[in-house]
Amino acid sequence: METTKIKWMIKKDLLTLWRHKIQVASLILFPIMMIALCGWGMGGTVEHTPVIIVKQTSGPITDQAINAIKSDITYDVKDIVDDVQQAKDKVDNGDVRAAIILSSNFEDDATRNAVLYIDSSDQLTTQTLVPKTEMIFASLSEEVGLSQVSSNTTTNPITSTVQTIKLQVNKIYGDIDYIDFLLPGVLAMSTFMSSMMTMGNSIAGERERGELARLFMTPTGISTVLTGKIISQLIREMMMAFILVFSAILLFNVVINGSLLLLFLVIFTSTLCFVGFGMMFSATAKTQEDYIQVVLPIAMPMMFICGVFFPTETMPWILQKIAYFLPLTYANDAFRAVMLKGAGIEAVAIDLLILLGFTLIFFVVGVSRFNRDI
Amino acid sequence: MKYAIETHELVKVYDNGFRAVDNLDLFIEDKTIGGILGPNGAGKTTTIKMLTCLIPKTSGNAKVAGYDITTHPDEVRNNIGMVPQLVSLYKDLTVRENVELCADFYNVDQKIKDKKIDDLLELVDIKYAEDKFIDQLSGGMQQKTSVVASLVHDPDILFLDEPTVGLDPTTKRVLWDLMEELNQDGRSIILCSHDMYEVDKICDSINIINSGKVVASNTPQGLKDQLLQNKEKNNQYILEMIKELEQENSQENVEEINQLRSSLTDEDEKVTIMLSNINEDMINALEDLDVVKEVKMVGGGRLNINLKRSETSVNSVITEILHNGGNIASIKTNDPTLEDVFVAITAKKRKEIKYGNN
Repeated sequence: METTKIKWMIKKDLLTLWRHKIQVASLILFPIMMIALCGWGMGGTVEHTPVIIVKQTSGPITDQAINAIKSDITYDVKDIVDDVQQAKDKVDNGDVRAAIILSSNFEDDATRNAVLYIDSSDQLTTQTLVPKTEMIFASLSEEVGLSQVSSNTTTNPITSTVQTIKLQVNKIYGDIDYIDFLLPGVLAMSTFMSSMMTMGNSIAGERERGELARLFMTPTGISTVLTGKIISQLIREMMMAFILVFSAILLFNVVINGSLLLLFLVIFTSTLCFVGFGMMFSATAKTQEDYIQVVLPIAMPMMFICGVFFPTETMPWILQKIAYFLPLTYANDAFRAVMLKGAGIEAVAIDLLILLGFTLIFFVVGVSRFNRDI
Repeated sequence: MKYAIETHELVKVYDNGFRAVDNLDLFIEDKTIGGILGPNGAGKTTTIKMLTCLIPKTSGNAKVAGYDITTHPDEVRNNIGMVPQLVSLYKDLTVRENVELCADFYNVDQKIKDKKIDDLLELVDIKYAEDKFIDQLSGGMQQKTSVVASLVHDPDILFLDEPTVGLDPTTKRVLWDLMEELNQDGRSIILCSHDMYEVDKICDSINIINSGKVVASNTPQGLKDQLLQNKEKNNQYILEMIKELEQENSQENVEEINQLRSSLTDEDEKVTIMLSNINEDMINALEDLDVVKEVKMVGGGRLNINLKRSETSVNSVITEILHNGGNIASIKTNDPTLEDVFVAITAKKRKEIKYGNN
């Protein structure tokens, strides 16, 4: 008998979803939109930055420098002028982001220099353009130095090749774009926010509309109704999570390094925990508004503390300690371990156990606080 | 006597200390239509919530359909149906889906479920709309669906909480007829309403609740008779309340004062009779009757007569009119209405709360 009731709760919630086409559209579009925004808006690289070159002299080194800049995808050379002030004005007016000034002595071995005049109000562009330009000139300098050593025996080889020393970087997980770092966090955050909001509507909303009271006037236990609700929410949230993952793969070529089965397990455990979180807070909320007022002040800071956008290690000591008590931290950790590091079950077992611990607490508190009252 | 509802010193105190129900002794006979009346905040809703096992009692005892609400809540739930004021059906499900959901939640036998649902939908005449969504129905049809969903498990007792609010007069009458039909089928009906006409029309007994207690309990006519018997005392309560409200000198009290004034019970019985063939002999004969205080002829064949209030006064007047060749079209008396009873009793309670019982 109880199975029939649980099936009804699932059927009812899924029928409601299906019959509200706008909700179906939202279920599909929300994760795609989230990943698109994060991928293109936050996770992209700086390319084709408009710049202007000031060429005050002519010669092979100058041509080599200009060719190197032009051939790099980071720059989009809008113009080559000889007037420094004209170039600076273009930067000041926002027509271009930077001016690369090759001075009149650029062909002179002794005093050769160049200036990068950049609009530093754009932090991201500055952070990309400065090291990139330094690298181009360092590389150029190295080539010039080596050619001088080979062609002129009077030149001191040590001072001329000092810039040929390179720092080698070994990245243990390869080149990871910001989108790669962001996707697990966005996945955790999206399932968290969506679980909370839909659980609020599902329980507090039905209580507000009197629908739950009708069910609770029947000989049906609270746990039966809640089990049905939890399963339907799980189905819904997992559908959303998979759309999000596949969108990321299709749109941004994101690679899932770990096992898909393990990723499924992490999504399932995290979603169950977040649904429990929503259920606990909606247990006593009389209206949806009450629920949102209680949940938002807790949920919003979680997104910033739990390492969705920035690693928790970069946060102040007190926030790092608080993060230990929030489930989103462990969901993030498990998602990143599986998706970025290709971790196995043994690496995420602690995270999953902690998430299950949170789930148990949320369910026990939620069910004990739940009442049949309208 | 068997009771559908039976409470003894039932108490509900909320967590914030508010005593919503205070030693309530409520008895509604089995297989009758029992009305529960009371002003806003009187404790009606809390009482219904306890009786339908939605909230626990604080103390006292209550039995519904013979089952204790604390020790046998599932038996209580199996024997009651509830039609709430708010149409609490799932708007994204069809009429039939809503009823099927309720049937399964009430563990209705799958073998008889479909037929049961068909019969009930036909009983309230909404079978043709079974595939419509709740949002697509009128208020009356939504309420009928709510009734079907509450009857699908064949309960002995049906609770209705202001079921006709916002419905047009025709639909109200359909629902009243349905309640009477269900009662004739052997069900007890518990009706909570603010519509005095509705309660007066269909209820066998009425319990008036105020401040969490039953302050009056009788048949509709019994309550009106009680008001007449206690008219001096009741009028005194009402006049004191009017005086008190006037002293507060608040614009907000004007409507309440007018309502209280209108509920003052007249010493005299006033009768308005529409008739044809009025003649001087008839007027003289009426004026000569001992029970008649004053006879006034007004336009349009109408007589306004002030009588000494007694059981035979109106009969004497009618006899005299007929004797003098009059043809009576209609008779209207100023007998107290249920609303007068309600206002008088709640005014009395307000005075007791303010000044004590003395």
